[in-house]
Order: sequence, then structure tokens, then C-alpha cells
Amino acid sequence: MTDLLRRLVRTPQGAIGLLLLLVLAAVCLFGPWLAPQDPEKIDFLGRFRPAGAENWFGADQLGRDVLSRLLVGARSTIPMALAATLLGTVIGSVVGTASAYLGGRWDEAIMRTIDAVMAVPGLLLALLLVSTLGNGATNAMVAIAVAFAPGMARVTRSVALNVRNQDYVKAAIVRGERGSWIVFREMLPNVMAPVVIETTIRVSFAVMLFATLSFLGLGAQPPASEWGLMVADARQYVHQAPWILIAPSIAIAVTAIAFNLLGDGLRDAMNPRNER
Amino acid sequence: MTTPVLSIRNYTLEYLTGAGPVRVLQDIGFDIAPGEVLGLVGESGSGKSSLAWAIMRHLPKNAREVSGDIRLGDTDLRALPGRELTRVRGRRIGMVFQDPSTSLNPTLPVGRQITETLVTTRGLSPKEAWTEALALLGHVELRNPEALMKRYPHEISGGEKQRILIATAFGCRPELIVFDEPTTALDVITGAKILELFTRLRAETGVAALYISHDLALVSRVADRVAVMKHGKLVEEAPADRIFRAPQHPETQILVDAVPRPERRLVHDQPGERVLLAAQDISVHYARRRLFRPAPPPATQAVGFDVRAGEILGVVGESGSGKSSIARALTGLADFSGNIRFDGRPIAAGRAMDRQYRRAVQIVFQHPDSSLNPRQKVGEILARPLRLFGGNVADVGKLLEQVRLPASFADRWPHQLSGGQKQRVAIARAFAAKPSLVICDEITAPLDVSVQASIIELLLTLRAETGTAYLFITHDLNLIRQIAHRIAVMRGGELVDLLSIDAIDAEHVHPYTRDLIAASPTPVG
Repeated sequence: MTDLLRRLVRTPQGAIGLLLLLVLAAVCLFGPWLAPQDPEKIDFLGRFRPAGAENWFGADQLGRDVLSRLLVGARSTIPMALAATLLGTVIGSVVGTASAYLGGRWDEAIMRTIDAVMAVPGLLLALLLVSTLGNGATNAMVAIAVAFAPGMARVTRSVALNVRNQDYVKAAIVRGERGSWIVFREMLPNVMAPVVIETTIRVSFAVMLFATLSFLGLGAQPPASEWGLMVADARQYVHQAPWILIAPSIAIAVTAIAFNLLGDGLRDAMNPRNER
Repeated sequence: MTTPVLSIRNYTLEYLTGAGPVRVLQDIGFDIAPGEVLGLVGESGSGKSSLAWAIMRHLPKNAREVSGDIRLGDTDLRALPGRELTRVRGRRIGMVFQDPSTSLNPTLPVGRQITETLVTTRGLSPKEAWTEALALLGHVELRNPEALMKRYPHEISGGEKQRILIATAFGCRPELIVFDEPTTALDVITGAKILELFTRLRAETGVAALYISHDLALVSRVADRVAVMKHGKLVEEAPADRIFRAPQHPETQILVDAVPRPERRLVHDQPGERVLLAAQDISVHYARRRLFRPAPPPATQAVGFDVRAGEILGVVGESGSGKSSIARALTGLADFSGNIRFDGRPIAAGRAMDRQYRRAVQIVFQHPDSSLNPRQKVGEILARPLRLFGGNVADVGKLLEQVRLPASFADRWPHQLSGGQKQRVAIARAFAAKPSLVICDEITAPLDVSVQASIIELLLTLRAETGTAYLFITHDLNLIRQIAHRIAVMRGGELVDLLSIDAIDAEHVHPYTRDLIAASPTPVG
């Protein structure tokens, strides 16, 4: 594990991604204490105040400090995206591995169902689920997880098919192991490497998807300072005060880039061939 | 004295790795005279292939040449710049690789690849090259070269590919050809034919050759002189007939002793009378009928044989002869039709194999790298069958000692073990169930000759201790003649012969069995 970390830091993408993520993690943990002002304090004299000494990133239409809102809002953005991705990964990788293990007609049935679900774009599927389950951050998270699971299942299955043909899996079948043991103990640990990489890259999609849902008014609800919601609110004032729009957009982009870089770094670090 | 074609002096090579420089070749020195074949023998990891790449001047980036000369005739190869080198490769030194399937470009027809080489190395016009290629292919006994040249590599067999590569190498009329295990990836009979071809072409052209192989028996038949390598050093160099009769260096001695000799039997007892496993009319199916497709033909025809208690039954045949399919059927990995009786109890299908059968019949797979789960420690791997078949989990150490590994290996990961050690762990896993029949599916094929000998020795000791029967699947007839009580010969999914070991030289054996015996290289001397 420490070895992996060392190799990760040695790649430039990995080092930058990890650094950015550490900063983001700090913001998530200590955001409210770092924030210079109360994120919901309304100041009518300071409406649309540009970036300056008083408000470093400017103030929004109600005079709230944009920087404080970003710092506090990180908590409701990044952990949600992370949780949604992890949930989707767990569902997807178990289904994918099981499908590869079962093979034959079961595999066919599971994968064709997944193909059918994948035919619906992720955002549309999430919208459908949220409108059925009702608005709110938790439901949005579940919707994103469900939208991600089929893709994860496909990736996992393709790796698991190779693992399925390995002799240690055959040896387990021959000695009469139960299916659950083979899937969870023999196969899953060996498909994890590509799945972990796929997950980190998908977190950035989740951040954007979650922001989109909030932007459409289906995720986090006002007055929360979720980043997507901030972008949605700032939309009408883009000509008067572009900074209200730009600041949360940049925050979303940086998060997405950080996870993407980490994913790239992990891919290189986990490939032992790059050692030589 | 004439100038040697290739002359290597005090050549030392290191690879720079994360853990510091690793010396792979140490003070190598030898000459190859015009028209001479030098055989280079050694275990895997002894540096044979590094030497081949050093001669071809195609070393990896982290290689560092510490000292020495490599001279081709009068040319100092080490001093040649990149552009000059391309004029040496192919034109003055040819090379034939181990695996013919990866040596040809799969996206180009075979003919284009030969003519292209001839055009660049010999400066022929495309038309001349085409006629020349036809002549070359005809000369290596390929039927209908015209049609063959238009095919893609996946449309021809491995033996044909290797013939094409050899034809191309000779066709460029080099001074020296480097052969890197050219028959290892081929079947016994195909390999024997390639060797015949090599001998004939060499007699005709008089080209010098460096023949690299791990198989001392084979090298001693094709080479004039043999050099033995160990850990990057040349330990012995002698004429081919002498190295077998009177090996000087202890390392050579080990290699010579490890070569399986059919006349030296390692098993002297007779098996019991009780029939342990009786298989009747077994045919193996890999895919079932689909909606628009008829069922594919079975991988084996109806095959019948029995294994007695404590017996070693050898199954030999080329790849694709269905011998591994038999192993899969007996372990329930493949669907089959027919009857199996084990210890008098009938087993109708793979699903009917109960815990008692699964405990009694164990399998060891061919590839040690893939038969151990890389995410489980050796201890976990061995504890699992113990727990499943009612053994004591604390016996892991005992199991390891049984296969001559230290008990501390329980804490190791599979990637920390060598190929031979992994195979020992796989054997320990099979014996954890206290089986009465162990199926060995080509378990020594990927191992070096000397490691193979020690694994065979281990299997025989375990058999003496436990009285287990073996179904030993292999393509190495010499090896199986040393240990088996009876031999089953398979070809194209059919059982062509099932003979007692004493009867293998008899008159009535199947012609194919006779071909197999003739194709298995017996050591000189």
C-alpha cells in the first residue's frame, strides 16, 4: 500500500491530483471554520460586490460572501458525489463479477438487462429516478449510484471474464466451493485494480452530474450552498456579476480534474510494467 | 586459422534496476567458425536471451555494457551507429524467434512480409522478390507456396509460420543466424520436422548459427559445439557428443542428469488390481447447440480407460488432441457424456460430483502463475482445502514440508515464489485433500529441465508416502516413459493406443505412437 502511494506520487498526474484532493478534503472537513463570513448572512448594501478586500471572490445577489459559500458548500458537494460513486461501484462490480462467474444464460440475461439500462443516458435516468423518488440530496445520490452501476458492471465483467479463466478459479470450482466464495474471495480481489481507477474517474462525473441535478432544482435545495445550485442561482446575473457564476464553476472543474488526475496516476502506478 | 563469423570476448552486461545494477552476463567469450553451429544451453534466467539481443544490438534502455567486444567477421558491432546496424540486421545476422505466432505481422499477408524483407535486405525488385520467395517456400517443403503467400498469419499453422520465418532468415543469406528456442512453442512432431529442415538447410548453405535452447538433448543433436550457461557465466564449452558423455562442470552434470531418458525407469513397483476410476465413452462438449447453430463437434470422441489404485497413467498427444479435455471432464470443468465410475460409484455428470468425489480427485494445472490466487498468501491458499475437506488448518506447515518447502512460506505471496516453488504449492494444495487420484495437466511443461526433474521426484515421493494414483498428462514422451505404468496416446480427440509401458516398443503399436517415439529427441550418447 505504501509502495503504491510512493509510485503514485512519483507520477506527475498522481502527485498533482493527490495534492488537489488533500486541499479539497481539508475544505470539506474544516470549511465552516475557514469561511471568513457566515455563508447565509444577507448584506443588501453589498449586493453584486466585485472581488475585493471585503469579499475575496465577490458577493452574490443577496450580498452573501461567495468564498464562504464555496467553502461551506464543499461539504454538500464532494462527499455526496463520492458516496454516490462508491455505491454505484459496489453494486456494479458485484453484479459484473457475478455475471462473469455464472456465465452462459445468466450472463446473457444480466448483461442484456444492463445494456437496456445503459441505453438511457445517465442524466436522463437520474432525472427519472429523482422525479419518482422525490427531490432532495439523498435521492439524487441514490439516482446517480443507480445510473453508474451498469457502466461499472460492464467494466468489471470484462476484467472478471479474464479472471474467470485463471486456474485458481478453476481450482476453486473443482474443489466444490460455493459461488459466493468464488465471487467475493477469489475473483473480486483480482478485478479491483481497474475498478478503483474507473471509480476515481467516475467521481468527477458524479460531481458534475450532482451539480447538474441541483442546477435543475432536483438535488440540493436552496438556501444550501451546494456548488451546482450556486451556478443555477447565479445564471440570471451573469451579465451583472459574472464572478458569482465563475467561482463555483471553477470549483467544480477543479474537483473533477483532481479526481481525473488521480485516476490517471493510479492507472500508471498500478501497472507494474511501468516499473521498468 | 580462418576468422570466426562471430567472436565475443569478455562481454559483461548489466541491467540497471530500482534495486541497483544486476549483472546478467559475466565475461562471456566464444567464437563461431564459418559453417559451425554453436548450441547455447541454460536454464531460464541464465542470460541466454540477453546474449542473443546483445548480438542483435537490440538491448533494453536500462542495459549497460560494462566491457567486452562483439565482432561479426571484421566488424565491431558495438561501435556501429544505428544506421549501419540496420544494414547488419537481417542482411548479415538473421534471427528466428521462439513463438512463430507473434513473429509475423497479423495484418499483412505472409507473402508481403517475405518479399518486403527480401527487397530491403537483398535489394531485389518486388517481382524478383516474389519469385525468390516462392522458391524459398517450396524449398522448406511448404505445399502450394503460391496460395500460402496470399494468406494471413492466422490462416496458417504454427509449424508453417516457423517454416516461413526460417525460409526468410535463410533467404536473406546472412553470415550468421541466431535461433532462440525455435521449436519450444511447437508440437513434438512439428518440432522434429523443423529440426530436420534446419539440419538440411544448414548443410546446403553452410551458414553459421547460434542455437539457443533450454533442452540439452535437443541441442546436442543439432549443434557442433555446446556452451552451457549458468547465472550469466559460461561454465563449459565442449563438442556436442562429448558434453553428454563426459560433462565436466557440476552444472552441466545437473543438466545432463535432468534430461529424461526413457530407458531409465524411476518407478519400479506395480499398481494395485483395484480399479479406482473407470471412464467409458467419455466425450467432452464445450458449447451447446444454439438457436441458429448446430452443436460443435465434441472435443473428444468416445474415450474409455481406467485408472487403478496407485497407478500412474500417462496421457500423451499433441496440443489439441483432447488430452486436457479429459482432465476437465473428470474434474467437472467441462460437460461430458458417458459414464464415470469412481470407486464403484457411478458419476453421471459434472453436477453429480459430490464432496467425496471432489476430495478424492484433485487436479494440478499447467501454469503455476495462474493457478495460485495472487491476492491470497500461500497459507490462505492451503488452508482453504483443509477447511473444506475436514483437515486441520494448523497443518499448513506440515503440507509445505511435505512438498519440501519451508513452513515459513505460508506468509509469502505467490509473486514472491519461483515457478517451481509455485508448482510445489499447487501440489501441496492438491494433497491437502488426501486424494486418491491426482490429475497432473502438463505440470512440468513451463518449467526448466532441472526443476522438472525435482518436481517429478517430489511427485514420486508423495506417491510412495500416500499411495495416490496419477493421471499424468504431458507431451513429453521421454518423461512419461520414465514414470508411467501405462500410456494412453491421443490424437484429434481419439484414443489411438493404450499400452503397458513394456509394450511401447512392440510391433503392434499404432503408427502414430511410433511417430511420436521417433520425434522425441533422445539424448546423444
